[in-house]
This record gives sequence, structure tokens and C-alpha cells, in this order.
Amino acid sequence: MPRFLHTADWQIGRYFNRFDTDNSSALADARYGAIERLAQLAVEYNCDAVLVAGDVFDAQTVSDRCIRRTFNATSGFKGPWVMLPGNHDAALAESVWTRAQRINAVPSNVHLALQSGVIELPQQKIAVLAAPLTQRHTYEDLTAPFDSISTPPQWLRVGLAHGSVQGVLAEDIDATNPIAADRSASAALDYLALGDWHGLKEINERTWYSGTPEPERFRNNQPGFALLVTVSEPGALPQVEALETARYHWHQWQEKLVVETDIDELLKRLDELPESSVLDLKLEGSITLAGEQRLADALSRAEARYRSVTYDRSRLLLAPTEEDLAGLQASGYVGDVLEQLQTRQSGAEAQTARDALAILASLLLEARKEEHP
Amino acid sequence: MKLESVRVEQFKRFKKPFLLNGLSGGINVISGPNEAGKSTLVRAIRAAFFERHRSKSAEDLRPWGDSSAAPAIELVFHHNGQKWQLNKSFLQRKRCDLSIQGTTYSGEEAEEKLAQLLGYQFPKKGASKEEHWGIPGLLWVEQGSGQNIEQAVVYAGDHLQSALSSLVSEVVSEGGDGLIHTVRQQLGELLTAGGVPRGEYKQLLADELPGQQELDALESRIDQYQNQVDRLAKVAHEFHKIDREQPWVKVRQALAEAQERYRHIESLQGQQQTLNQALTSVEQRAALLQRNKQQVQADGKQLQQREQEHNTAQQALNDVQASAAGLHAALEQCQRQYRDALEVERQAGLLETRQRLEHSSARAKTQLQQLSERKSRAAELQEALGESRTLTARHQISKAAVDRLRTTQRQLDDARLRSQAIATRIEWQLEAGQQIELGQDTLPHQGEQLLLSSTRLRIAGVGEFTITPGGDDLARCQRQLEQLQLALGEQLQALGVADLAAAEHTLVAQERAQADVHRLLELLQSLVPGGLASLDSDYQALSAELERNCAEKEALVPATTLAKGLPALAQAQDLRSDAENRLSAAEKRSSEHEKALLAASHRYQNADHEWHTLRASLNSEQRQQEVTQLNSDLTAVEQEQARQQERLKQMLAQIAAARPELVQQDIQRLGASADQLEQAQRGRELELKELRVRLEIWGAEGLEQQRGRCLAELEQNRRRCQQLQRRAEALQLLLQLLTEKRQALTQRLQAPLQKHLNHYVTVLFPDAQLEVDSQLLPGRFTRDGETGQMAELSFGAREQMGLISRLAYADLLKEAGKPTLIILDDSLVHSDSVRLDSMKRILFDAAQRHQILLFTCHPDNWQDMGSETINLEALKARAPL
Repeated sequence: MPRFLHTADWQIGRYFNRFDTDNSSALADARYGAIERLAQLAVEYNCDAVLVAGDVFDAQTVSDRCIRRTFNATSGFKGPWVMLPGNHDAALAESVWTRAQRINAVPSNVHLALQSGVIELPQQKIAVLAAPLTQRHTYEDLTAPFDSISTPPQWLRVGLAHGSVQGVLAEDIDATNPIAADRSASAALDYLALGDWHGLKEINERTWYSGTPEPERFRNNQPGFALLVTVSEPGALPQVEALETARYHWHQWQEKLVVETDIDELLKRLDELPESSVLDLKLEGSITLAGEQRLADALSRAEARYRSVTYDRSRLLLAPTEEDLAGLQASGYVGDVLEQLQTRQSGAEAQTARDALAILASLLLEARKEEHP
Repeated sequence: MKLESVRVEQFKRFKKPFLLNGLSGGINVISGPNEAGKSTLVRAIRAAFFERHRSKSAEDLRPWGDSSAAPAIELVFHHNGQKWQLNKSFLQRKRCDLSIQGTTYSGEEAEEKLAQLLGYQFPKKGASKEEHWGIPGLLWVEQGSGQNIEQAVVYAGDHLQSALSSLVSEVVSEGGDGLIHTVRQQLGELLTAGGVPRGEYKQLLADELPGQQELDALESRIDQYQNQVDRLAKVAHEFHKIDREQPWVKVRQALAEAQERYRHIESLQGQQQTLNQALTSVEQRAALLQRNKQQVQADGKQLQQREQEHNTAQQALNDVQASAAGLHAALEQCQRQYRDALEVERQAGLLETRQRLEHSSARAKTQLQQLSERKSRAAELQEALGESRTLTARHQISKAAVDRLRTTQRQLDDARLRSQAIATRIEWQLEAGQQIELGQDTLPHQGEQLLLSSTRLRIAGVGEFTITPGGDDLARCQRQLEQLQLALGEQLQALGVADLAAAEHTLVAQERAQADVHRLLELLQSLVPGGLASLDSDYQALSAELERNCAEKEALVPATTLAKGLPALAQAQDLRSDAENRLSAAEKRSSEHEKALLAASHRYQNADHEWHTLRASLNSEQRQQEVTQLNSDLTAVEQEQARQQERLKQMLAQIAAARPELVQQDIQRLGASADQLEQAQRGRELELKELRVRLEIWGAEGLEQQRGRCLAELEQNRRRCQQLQRRAEALQLLLQLLTEKRQALTQRLQAPLQKHLNHYVTVLFPDAQLEVDSQLLPGRFTRDGETGQMAELSFGAREQMGLISRLAYADLLKEAGKPTLIILDDSLVHSDSVRLDSMKRILFDAAQRHQILLFTCHPDNWQDMGSETINLEALKARAPL
């Protein structure tokens, strides 16, 4: 029973600007780990082939080390890999692919679909109809020729393309590299493996986006999967199973804190996250000094525990309570300043006022601690 | 607050216990000379409050050279009705005990109590410094620092506010100044005092530009890389297309056809070449014949020329020959003339010799005659000489006798004259026909007569007259006259002469004959100097010469044989020379003519020979035949030449019709096109290679990955930068608010402080004003309409102002119920006596409210402070406690 693994959008060589160097390189490294896991899954599920639907590389000019590591990571699975150039790694006259070939980085079991046409896997009786991007952007449907390509009878006809299925994805998706939604039907494909959309998405029962195997953004569209596609025989409906491949899980929370219990809730959720989390927190509302203290402690713990924690507290106002103020012992004009900063948090230089307030509070607390250790 | 007593032991100068007690609540003047321990006491009070008892920095409190000492201080003072007693010891025995109205505290707790009471703080570690001294730093004036009020006020800042808070009914912030200090410090880590980023912040900002530049450079290179990739695709596409089409093949075919056409034209051109050569050969032959013909014509001309030359030579010869006879005649004539002239010259020579001899003979004869004349003359002279000598002998008369005679004569004459003078004179003039007689004589009709004696005169017809002269001398004169006449007669006789004249005549004749003798002797001498003998020998020699001449003349050709009219010898010689010259010229001409004749003859013979030779040659029969043949050959060749030219013309027309230059251009064009096409393709191939190599190299750099890294770094830098900026802004805001608030607070204390300050200033300067600024510092000072800052005053004035400011602060503190103890260590030493007096009034006034300890080494200056001066020396001299 023919079975293959459908994956896409590896984006090898991507840098993560928003993180510091440590996290950035860890996340970049994780992308090679994803390839290794794919190979492992292919072996585990006894797959006939692994089809990669474009954007293997994030850019044309990545380092040779990057190229070699990518192909090295496929070594776990000795069966055929078919790799399709996408918009990031289009098969241009000179491309990451020609470079990979030139430096002899491509193992013999990896097939590069650098030209539009069929890649035949006779042993597996799978004909892969490939529609590689040979320019950075095209405005024609490169899968159109699939309709007229014939393949050996009794072989699986599997399409491999990279682009946007027309009329299905949100409109803000770039209209370049269009793909007809009914291509699987018109070209009599058993399955059409697509790339470009980084989340897992079913277009129809024969047409799927696998999404990227390792998340690289906070958009919550089910990234981090590969599709295990089993077709009992040519023409049969494929069975598609999503296999989780993500090493890191990306979370972006937007929380509004109003009452003390909101903080409790947030801290609880924070504690429950798995360690392999990449968290981005945007906070708004207001917080007492005590709450701020708890939050700061919790974030500090989280930063140490999780892969990455970034947060934006610029819209979270500090609202010291009477109790807070008493605790600070901000007598005299210092108390005045504290009060003034508090009100200024909603003014023109809210951010600065908030920061100044936080600094003042922390200094006062420190002073208190020194006095009463 | 009132300090009661100070007791020290093992403390610096005081090894033994020393007690200062009995201090009053007002002013206490404590005096002592230098090194008596005034400063030690001040130090003791400071140490008791400021230094932690555990401080390791209290080494200076030990007496010199006593390392085992435990410096100890005991202070007793009252405050708010409570008695405070502090016992503090350092180093060897670290203790601090404080009892407040019976309640005891110890260690740091005790120290904190004191700090709180007086308003100062302890250093975190080490010795206590100015900045820790707080309010006491303001009220306890160290020696020589009375004028430095600003810093003391700043250090007292917080404590002052805290202490004075009750005055402004305001909650004063505790630790506010510390907070400001911390905020300023933290801001200082980010920004300089001028607000310029520094440290990490500065570095981050500085890094941004190079980061951005690196990024831009990468972007630009990526852009180039992509362009090259596109170029690669385009060139590769073209290359493969052209490679399939091979457009140069078609062009090469066309080229081959054009080349074939050109080869045909080239064969025509070959034929043309042959024709050209044939024509050339015919033309050459024609030219040769033409030259031969010209030669024949030239030969004819030469014959004529030679004939002419022959004639000319003959004519010349004839001319030369013709002139020969004339020349010969002329020569002969010249020869003849020469011979004639030669003869004339000879004869003239002879004639001249003869004439010379004749002339010589004539001269000799003349000389002979002269000689004979001289001989005869000499004989005459000789004779005359004899006569003269005879004459001389005859006339022998002496000259002296003559002279005597003459004298006698004269005396006689004189006597006569005298007689005449005495005589009577008769003068007469007779009329015609009348006659008179005197004596015997008849008188002429006119005359005179002297009468010496009586004389008769008779006149015919009339009668006779006797005239007798008168005088007595007449007789004596008569007698003298007679004597003299007698003498004269005797002398004349002696001399043999008749009278004196004869005598004189005889004398003259004698003298003349003597002169003649002399003269004749001289004449003779001049005539024959050598005497008569030499005259004879000359005569003989001359005669001989004359004989010789005659003989010679006899030997000569007789004159009759010579030609008549001969010229003089010189003239004959000139004539002969002329004839000789003429003969030479004639001979020369004759010789030249001979040579000319010979030359003309030669020329003539040559010309004649050449002419005859050529004529013979040209007139030969063979020659005539050759000329005929030449003319016929020439005609034939010219016809051949015309034929060849026609054929060549036709050939050229044929070639021109084929347009060889166009065909050649076609070949060029097509060849170049094919080359160019292939070249372009090769260029593409090369460019492809180059592009691939370049892209390969660039690709190895992983440009986009580098960009990713660069961008990440830049972003991170920016994020950090933003954080720092936010923090800096926040700190700035905080600092600004804090300082503003603090400022506002201090300003509220300004007025009461000003009030107290005015109180003192007016004592010192009645119309002056010292303003307290917003920092509670004495600032602007106005006096006599002039305004300045306190800092600009003299040292003495500043010290005075400093002191009254401190007193004003003390008043303020007192008002707020705070303890005030004022300690002055040798203050106001720079004040003049007037000012010092004013200051004393001020101090005395202040002492009404505050306890003042005034340490001085000039107790005399402070005798009028209304209190007893405490003398340290005296105290020390007291029995030990």
C-alpha cells in the first residue's frame, strides 16, 4: 500500500530577528531537527517516499554548511526524497539547488524537481508531477501542465506544487504563484501535495497543505505537522494523517489584567506551559505594585525555563494601592512624585511615566529592604 | 541642647584624663595657646558623634606612640529636659553606651539615636567625612573653613528638611536626597551630565551606523547577486537558442558563393596581366627603334658640327700665320735700334774721358800761374819791407821831445792870446771906394785888428791917426812872449825841425813806417805760410801732374774720329736701356706667336682628321642600308602596339562589369558577419562561465544568511538601545520631578531663613542685604547699591557671611525645636577689629538662643564676650581626676 510523507516550508537558514542570539540560533537549529524527525517518521511509518512541497531553503544564498546540514539531516530515511523549489528557493539559473549539486551535497536518494515534469519512482510506482518555481514569482498556474501529463498506468499520480490555491486562502495572501483549487480533479491526481501556507490545511480530500514541520512564527494556524498520506491504490481516496513534528511551540498571548485574579490566572497558565515554548506576551490593563512584583518574578522564572519569553508591558498601567504606597513609605515630596507619575501614565508620555514609576517604586522597595532586611 | 561636660582619656594630646566642665548655656570662650589641645577637644566631640565605635579608621585618635591605648570620650548634655550621657571608646576597647534620662542604649543603637537627634549619618564604612556630617557639619565650624557654607548646606540638605519639616507643615521626604542621588547616579550610567549618551548606550548608538552600513552593503550585494542570476538565465537562454540555430552557417554559404565569383574575376585579371605584359614588350621595342632613329639623326648633326669645327680651326691657323711677318719686322727693327744705341753709348763714354782730362790739365795750369804770381808778389813785399825798415831808421825823433815842444808852443800861444786880449781892437766897415791904411798895410773894406803897440792910421783924404794901446801888463806880456819864443826856437833846433807841425809830421811818418813793417810782415806770412820753399815744391808737383795728363790725352783716340753731336753719357745709357726693353718685348711677342701658331696648327689637324673620319663612316653603304631597315621596323612595331592596346581595353571593360570591389566587400561583410556571430556566441559562452564562477564564489558567502544575521544583530542592538533610551527618559523624568519637588520644598524654607539672616546682616552692614537663594544658600549680596555674589567677597567677609548664615540656620533649627550646638574653632581671625566687634555683638545675640563653644588662641580678642574665658592650660594644670 503506497504511503508517503508530505511536508513543506522547511525554511532552512532563517534568522529570528526578534529574539536574542541564543534563542535565535536554537530556533534555527531546531529546523534541522525537524528534518531528522521527518526521516525518523518516514522510517517509522514505513513510507515509500518523502515529498517536500517547496521552500526547503529560506534563501538562495545560504552557507554551504547550511546546505550540507540540510541534506545530512535526511540521512535517517534512505528511501526517495523529492524536493521541490518554492518561491524562496526557486530553480533559477543559479540557485541554492545548483550550488548543492555543485558541492556534491545532494545524496543519490534525494530527487530535485528543478524542472517542470514527472519524477518517476519506479520502485514505489509513484509518479511525482512537479511544478517547481523557476522564477521568483509567477502569475500563471504552474500546475496547469499536470492535466496533460501522462504517467505509467497503475502508478500513483501525485502532484507536488508550491503556491496559493485560488479562492481558498485569505485574500491577503500574495496572489503570485496561483494554483487552481480543482487541480487534483482536472489532472486526475491521487493527491496534490502543496507548500507555501505554513499551517496545516486541507483544501479538499486530495489536496492538502502540510504546513511547516517546525513553527517559525506566532500565527496560530496549526504549524508543526507533517502529513502521512496513504493511498490504498491508484484512484483511491487518500488517508491523510497529521503527525506532529514541532520541537518548539509558539504562543502569543494578549492578556488584559484588571483584577488581582487575572494575574493569578495568567501565572497559572504561564506555569503550565511545556518547556519547549516560545512565548510572546502582550499585556494591558492595570496592575498593583504587588501584582507587578509577582508578575516580574513569574516572568523572570519563565525566561529561565522556556525557550524564549518576550513580553510587552507598555500598555499595562501601574496602579499602586494605598497599601502599596504605605509599603513604599514614600513620604513627603517623593510621595508627590509617585502620585504624579501614576497619573501621568495615561498622558502624553505614558510610557516614560510608567517606566519612571516602576523605577521609583523599585528604588523605594530596595531602600525599604535595606532598612528592614 | 546644652553640653555640660566633655571628658577625654588616652585621646590624642590628652594621654591622661581631661575634663572640660562647667560649660554655660550661652557663649563659652575656651582658650589656650597652639597645641594646648583645643583642636583635640573639637575632634573628640566630633568623634563621639560621627565615628562608629567599631571603626577601624579611628587610628588618629590614639595618643602618639601608644598603640595599646583605647581613646575614650564621655559627653554629658541636656536636651528637652532630658539628660544624655554618652560614653564612647575606640580601638582597643570598642564601646558605645548612651543613657537618656536613665534609659540606656548601647552599640549601634546608641549611635543611631545620636545621629537622629542631631541629624547626620554614618559612613557605610571607613572614617566619617564631610558629606556625612549633616547638620553638625553646618553648625560646627572647623578651623579655616567658616566661609565654605555651600557644601555644608548641601550635605545637610535632607537632615535640614527633615528637621525643619515642622516649620513648613509639610511631610518631608525621608531619604529623598539619597533617592535623587541614586537616580542621578543611574542616569549618569546612561547619559553624561550634558545629556549625551555614554557607556553601553553610546556604544550601541555608535554600533548602529556600521551595522546598518553592513546591512546595506549586504543588501546591495544580494541585489547584485540576483541581477547576476537573472543575467545568467537570460544569457543561458540566448546561448542555447543561438546554439540550436547556428545562424553563421547560412552566412558562411553566402560567403563561399561570393568567394567563387571573386575567383572568376581574378582569372580575368590574370589574362589582363598577360595582355599588359605583351603590350609592354611591344612598347619597349618601339621605344628602342625610336631611340635608334634618333641616333641616326644625331649622327648627321654631328658631322655638320665637325665640319664647322674644321673650318673654324683652319681660319684660326690662317690668322695666326698672317701676323708672323709683321712681328718679325718689328723684332729686327728693335735689334737694330739696340745696336745703334749701344755704339752711341760707347762713343759718349770716350768723349767724356777726354773732356775730363782736358779739364784737369787746365786747372793744373791755372794753379801754376797762381803759384808764380804769389812768388812775385812775395818778392815785392820783401822789397817793400826793406824800404819801410830803412824809412824807420831815418825818422829818429823822440815822442817826449815833441810833447815838450808842443807844451812850449801852447804856452807861447797862450801868451799871445793874453796879449791880444789886452790889445786894442779896431773894427771897421768901409764904404765903397774908401781906403784906409794901418801902419804899412792897406786895410780891406771890412775887418778888425788888435793893436799892442802904438800904430798909425791913415785915411786917404782925411789924414793920419796914431793909436796907442793902454795898460801896465802889456809890457810884461811882451817880455814873457819873447822868452817863450826863444825857448821854442832852441827846441826846434834840437829836433832839427822848423816848427811844431814839422816835428809832429816827422813823428807821424816814423810811426807809419813802423806800421808798414808790421803789415808787410803779416802779408808775407799769409801769402806764403810755409815760406817760399814750400811754394816751390807745390809748383813742381803740379807741373808733373800736368805733364801726365797731357800724356794720357795723347794716348786717346783723336777727337776727330768721334761722331758729331753725341749726347751725354747718361742720356746715351737711357736710350740704350729703352732700346733693350723694346727688343725684349718684341722677342716675347715673337715667341708667343710661335706657340699660338703651333696650337692652331694642332687644332686644325685634329678637326680635319675627325671630320674626315666621320664623313667617311656616315657615307658608307652599310650605313645607308641600316637606316632604311630601321624605318621599316619602326612602322611595323607601331601597328602591333595599337592592336595590343585594343585587346587590353576590351579585357578591362569585361573585368569592370563584374564589379570586383563589390564582390570583395561582400566577402568582407559576410566573413565579418559570420565571425561576429560566432564571436558573440563565444562571448555568451564566456560570460556564462564567468557568471557561473562569480555566482559560485558569491554563493559560497551565504549572503542572505549573512544578511539575516546582520539584521538580527541590528534589531537586537536597536531593541537594547530602545530599552536604554526608555530607561534614560524614565530616569530623566524621575530626576526632574524629584528635583522639582525638592526645590519647591526648599523654597518654602527660604522665607524664614531669610528673616533670620536679615537679622544678623543688618548688624554687620546696616543697609546691606544677603539673599537666600532657592537652594537655601546665601547668594546675592547687596551693599551700598552694589550687587554681587557672596563668593565674590573677600575671604574675611565671606567668613563673616558664612558664620551669620550658619547662625541663621541655627535659629531656624531652634525654631523647629531641634538641638543646636555651635562650635567655632578659631573663627574670625581674618576679621578687622571693627568687623570683629560687630561679629561679637552678633555672636552674643546668638548666644542668647544657642550654646556656643568658641575655641581660640587669642583670648584677648574675646575678653568682652560677657563670660569667663576657660583656659585649657589652667584646666590641665589642675590635679588629675
